[in-house]
Parts: sequence; C-alpha cells; structure tokens
Amino acid sequence: MNICGYYPESINEGEGLRASIFISGCRHFCKGCFSPATWNFNYGDPFTKEREAEIIDDIKNNPLLSGLTILGGDPFFSAAEVSAFIDRLRQQVGPISIWIYSGYTFEEITENPESPEYELLRRCQVLVDGRFVEELRDPSLRYCGSSNQRLIDITQSLILGKVSIWQPTFSF
Amino acid sequence: MALLNPIYTDREVMLDEVITLGEEIVESRNLEVLRENANLNGESFSGKMSKFGSEYAKWYAEHFVMPKRLVQSIKDNIVYVHDLDQYAIGTTNCIFIPFDKLLREGFNTGNGSVRPPNSIMTAMALVAIIFQSQQNSQYGGVSANKIDFDLAPYVRKTFSKNLIKGLEYFEEGDLDSTNVGEISMSRSDLQELYPKAFKFATKETKSETLQAAESLIHNLNTMSSRAGGQIPFTSINYGTDTSPEGQLVIDSLLTATMRGLGNGETPIFPIQIFKCKQGVNQAPDEPNYSLFLKAAECSAKRLYPNFANLDAPLNLMYYKAGDPDTEFATMGCRTRVLSDRFGRNHLSGKGNLSFNTMNLVKLGLEHGIVLGQRKVADERGFYRELDLYLDIALEGLLHRFNIQKAQKAKASDFMMREGVWEGGEHLHPEEPVGDLLKHGSLSIGFIGLAECMKAMYGKHHGEDSNVYNKAYELISYMRNYCDRQSERHNLNITLFATPAEGLSGKFTKRDKATYGAIAGVTDREYYTNSFHIPVYYSISAAKKIELESAFHGLCNAGAISYIELNGNARSNPAAFLQIIQYALSQQVSYFSINHPIDRCSACGFEGIIGATCPSCNSHENDVHIRRLRRVTGYLTGDYQTRFNAAKQAEVRDRLKHNT
Ligand code: SF4
Repeated sequence: MNICGYYPESINEGEGLRASIFISGCRHFCKGCFSPATWNFNYGDPFTKEREAEIIDDIKNNPLLSGLTILGGDPFFSAAEVSAFIDRLRQQVGPISIWIYSGYTFEEITENPESPEYELLRRCQVLVDGRFVEELRDPSLRYCGSSNQRLIDITQSLILGKVSIWQPTFSF
Repeated sequence: MALLNPIYTDREVMLDEVITLGEEIVESRNLEVLRENANLNGESFSGKMSKFGSEYAKWYAEHFVMPKRLVQSIKDNIVYVHDLDQYAIGTTNCIFIPFDKLLREGFNTGNGSVRPPNSIMTAMALVAIIFQSQQNSQYGGVSANKIDFDLAPYVRKTFSKNLIKGLEYFEEGDLDSTNVGEISMSRSDLQELYPKAFKFATKETKSETLQAAESLIHNLNTMSSRAGGQIPFTSINYGTDTSPEGQLVIDSLLTATMRGLGNGETPIFPIQIFKCKQGVNQAPDEPNYSLFLKAAECSAKRLYPNFANLDAPLNLMYYKAGDPDTEFATMGCRTRVLSDRFGRNHLSGKGNLSFNTMNLVKLGLEHGIVLGQRKVADERGFYRELDLYLDIALEGLLHRFNIQKAQKAKASDFMMREGVWEGGEHLHPEEPVGDLLKHGSLSIGFIGLAECMKAMYGKHHGEDSNVYNKAYELISYMRNYCDRQSERHNLNITLFATPAEGLSGKFTKRDKATYGAIAGVTDREYYTNSFHIPVYYSISAAKKIELESAFHGLCNAGAISYIELNGNARSNPAAFLQIIQYALSQQVSYFSINHPIDRCSACGFEGIIGATCPSCNSHENDVHIRRLRRVTGYLTGDYQTRFNAAKQAEVRDRLKHNT
C-alpha cells in the first residue's frame, strides 16, 4: 500500500484538529476529480513499517489531536491493509476517533457484512461517503466537496440499520 | 539645554544632517523612513509634517539628550529605544483608561465639558471620544481593561427608560419611583408584573446596544486623529461581566465585529481581547460560556478577539473576585501592568512608561559557535556583555523616566486633569507629574531568542532540550535582573516579550550587513518574535504551546503566543476551541490563533482561496483577492513540511474541491 499525503495536524478533514493520511489508489474515476494522479496505486511512497511507526508516534505524542482521518484515493480499495493499520494504531494509542472518506456510499459498503470493506467501516466513527459529482460541487460545504456526499455517524447507523447523519459538536 | 551628548562636535556636519533629514522628507526620498509605521501614510502632507517633527526629535534626542552609552549601543545594533521621537519631551507610553470613572463623573476634553451619559448609545460614543482625547496625551496604546463592566450601567439606564416607555404604551401601570429600587434587566419581579413592557424594553435595549457597538467600532476605525492622520491604537478587553447588561455589551461588540465594517470588511481596530476565567466562561455550565463560544466564532471569522488567561499563575496572583479592575487585561500588543510595588495592583489609571529592547541575536553571534570562531559557545563572554547592555538599557529607561517625571501636568493635559492617570486630577497644571508616574512600568524587552540560540549553540530552543534549558536560563536571568533592579531603584522594572516585528526586521538587516546571511540566524527578513519558536519550524501546535508557555511566567511586562492554522478555521470551530483551551490549560497568559482569510471580490466568497476562487472560478490575475493575515510581519507558517510544496498544494487542492 502507498500513501500520497500525510498531515500531522489539520483542520480541513474533519472536526477538531486531526492527523490525516492519504491512501493511494482509486477506481471510481469521478469526473472532475482534482487529483487523478492519486488513482494510481503506485503513486506516492510505500507505507513502510518505519513510516507507520513515525505516524503512530506523532499521534501518540500529540495531546491536542481529536483523532485521525483517512482519505485517498479511496482507502476502501485497500480495506484489509487499512484495517490492520488501524488495529495496530489502537493497540498503541488506545481509543481514537477515526474519520474515513470513500467514493462508495454507506449502503454499498454495508451490503456484505463479511467483506473487508465492512470490517474497515466498523472500525471508524464517521464516514464521508459518495462519489464526487461535478454538477453538485459546492465549496461552502464543510468537510466534503459535492452536495450528494454525506457525513455519516457510523456507530449510530450500524445500530439503527440505516443512515444517521453526524452532528457537529459546535455549530458556528 | 546644555550639550549633554556632543558626539558630533562639528557644527557643519550637524547642519548637513539636519538639512538632509528635511530634504528626504520633502522629496519622499527615503521610503524606509516614510513607511516605517504602517499606520501612517508618510507620503501624505500630514504624514510628512509629522515626520519632520519626529525625525528631528530623534536627531535632537540622540545628539543632545540621551546618555552617550545608550546612543552608542543603538549604533552597535544591540539596544533599541522605542518611540525615540518622544524621548526628549518626556511623553509616556500606554494606559488603561478608567472608563467607569470618566463616564460616571463626566469629563472635560479641554474645549468643553461632557455630562455623564444617560444611554448606552451616548456612552459608547463617549468611549470613542475619551480614547481619542487620551491618545493625544501619550504615544502608545489606549486600552479599556473591562469595557463590559464600564458600560453595563448605561445599558441599565437605557433599559430603564425603555421599560417606563413600555409601561405607557401597554398601559400596564406605573412604577412607584419611591420604592421600586433600581430597574435592571435581571429584575424577574418586574418581568412578571409587566410582561409586555419588559419584553418591549429588552428588545429595544438589545437593538440600541448593538447599534451603539456598531458605531463604536466604526468610529474607532475612522477617526484619524492621531499625529499624521493615524487612528488611535485602541484595545478593548471584556468577557467576565455576568450581569445581563454586561453580557449584552459583550454580545453586541462580538456581533458588530462579525458583521464587520461598511462592506463587511474585518475591522482593524479596536484590538479585542476576551478575558477567560474558570467559573465564569470556560465550561458549559458557567454563566458566560456561550459568550466565550461566540468569541471563538468571532475570532475564527475576524482574527479578533485574542484570549487573555486570568487563571495563569502570574495573573491569578493579583485577582480579587468582585473587583474587575484586578483582572488581567492587555494593551492589544501584549503589555501587562497588573502589579505595582506601591500597591496599585489593578489596571486602570496607569500603564507602561517606556521600553527598550535588546537584540539577543547580535550577542549570540559575537559569542556563539556559528561564525566558526570557536567550538564551544563563550557563555561567560555572552553574559558579561549581556550585563553591560542590560545596564545600558536600564540607564536609558531611568534617564528617560527622569525627563518624564519633570513634565508639568498640563503637558499631558487630558490624562492628568481628568485623572485618567490615577491621581493626576489632584495636580495643579503647572506642577510636575513627578512621583505619580512611579506606578507605571519601565520595561526591558528582547527579540530573537531563537536566532540567538542558533548562533550560540547551532540549534534553537525548539530543536533541542538542552538548548531549551539554556534559553530558559537566559530569560530567567534577564527577569532576575529586572527584579533586582526593581528593588534597587524602587521602581516597577519588568521584562517584556517585545512585539515589534518592524523592529525585528531593522535589527536583522543591519546584522546581515555585518555578518552576511547565516543560515537560521540572519538569512530571513526578520528575527523571531521574543521567545517564540520560529514560525517556519515544523512542530505540532501542542508542542509549540508547551515550549512557549514557560516563558509567559517570566515575562511580567507581557507576552503573547500564537498558533498558525493552515486552513479555513471558521468551518472547524471544534479545533479552534480545543486549541484555545489547551493553551489556557498550559498557563499561557495571552493567546491567539493566526489563520488566513481570503475574500473573492467577484463573488464575495470567504475562506481559503488559491490562485482561483473555488466558488466562482475567477483567477487572481483577473479579480482582486483580498488576503487578510494578522499583521505580525510573518507569513502564515507551514508546519507540515514533510511533503514538498508542489505535492502539498496538489493534495490540498484536491481536498478543497473534492471528496
Ligand atoms: S472517489 Fe475521490 S479520488 Fe476517487 S475519483 Fe472520485 S473524487 Fe477522485
């Protein structure tokens, strides 16, 4: 698995101050995708054990972080590997909130509860879902690009068996 | 005056200098001099007129007034005397204005007397007038340290008037003025008795207070009354008054600031400071918590307010519950004058008298390893020279203090006559202000701790824990020096984390000319502010806060810490709040978050704008993109340097527009 971006602290990819990792590779090929380079699974740098340890260390040592955000490409194309990373991260830093972005919708991911995609989903707290639709592009949206995309409270949604929209803690 | 300091004995040389000074101003030749102060248009008539005055005043002070050693240390680029043009005439620096007293008693501007106001509208108008009048008695900032408390009584008056009016309209009855007591917004008994009138009065009072706040902010951004057409350097502190009237003042000021000026622009003045206090506004069950949230929202939109920490140990020491004048507040730039060895441990009625700043970098260069002259830093030599220049800086402050003391009360007429400086009202106009000034502070400031460490040891205090300890030792040493000298001279001598970014550029330029561009020391346009970790250094926000917080406790004349946020802060309030509260928990005394705000003039979109507006696709070459940054002299730092710039931009762009 390759990663094509990492911010130790960012305010753009989810609520609070979060670390963000970008996983290379995407097969959604949305029209208007601003970074088609990330479609390539070989784009960026290999996510080596050393790199992983560095990032886990960063997260562990930063008392201000609200959590981690995983984006892409689309991390769901590397679901098993990303899940394994999350498990190792949690082993070392304890409970931590994870936001994840995907071109798949919540419904698509939850279709098959046996799948690695479902496994990845249930490890995360918030899903930003859906493909980017150029016609629905809206730069004023918080944390996403087009208005079809939803910010989903994963835990609630899995309990209820239907999509429950995430609510921000503060609303200014 | 006698020739105290005849450095240039040759009269012809002096004459040449004076003539050149004048010519440069008349012909707008020396742009550096004309543009020294971003607030003053040095190429306008009034700007030039004021430059004539100030340039000659500096020249005069250096030649005839100041101690010789001080002049030499300025030439050596080690000590900087702020507001040198005011030195010879003995003007004082900044002040916290006792607005409560001035509004309660009325005042005289010199051309006419003003009655105490009867409504919030008039009270806020008078606040602007008082700021303006006071500004002409001094040269630095003018600040309101508790504007919520100061103005609450006038909201009450407005409410009272409106309630009486409401009673008439709705024919709900009459107030028996003999036993009704004070009418206020917290009188639930009145609310029950006269629900319609009470509702009406509340609504009217809210709208009047908001209007008053809007006009105050407009006024403070438009009255170019200071020398050379400058706007007064105003600051307002608020946040802790929990009465409904005080809360309304705070709320209205925040709303007005968020609405902005005429075209929705961000107001540059007044600098606003929200005072944070546990038990008052820091947790959801506390009375002013919602105002704290609103302050954070306003700061995310407008860069102001900044946040003052009343619970930091050095501020808590002097805090007396129930006396808002003992609550730490600041002149927006960061000045702190809370403590007084003569017992006036409150804010209003005094201020800073003057300050001199040390260029730590130059001392570091002379005694460090970076020039390759030695393997190990010469700490003994460094401290020996530091002592010498601290003495010189202090000598300058004391010398200047004597000039200030000798000035007659009428020279700072408004300030003394009206008792803006506490006790001034008891002086005869011809009497010197004398000992009254001793309640103010004389401060020694410093700049470039980071570059100094780099020059001394090859690393700055953010890079290495040993160097961090050295840095902390150095600043403690300077603080001890100030404390010792306070005892010795029986004056308030304090240590200041100097804010002057303009100055940091001046020092740097000259050091660069002397030593060349040395990596991490003189190779940038500026020296790092006071004890800050350099903005260009990659470090987490939490770590920066932790490292800097310890220095706040040392700098008893004031300090500020900033965090640079790269991104649209207004869309992520949780992050904004989290960072502020983390800084407060780390005992940072005064704190703010810098973040970029761009505005597309074509469609009005506000947020982060690259080369093209994400909303209407206009390109920056075709339409004006207004890019607002806090004026620190620094660019927005990027602490995420692990990817190259192109790659970052790529990922970031994708992010902004995409999934
Ligand atoms: S899902 Fe995202 S990365 Fe993949 S093509 Fe669509 S916009 Fe591009």
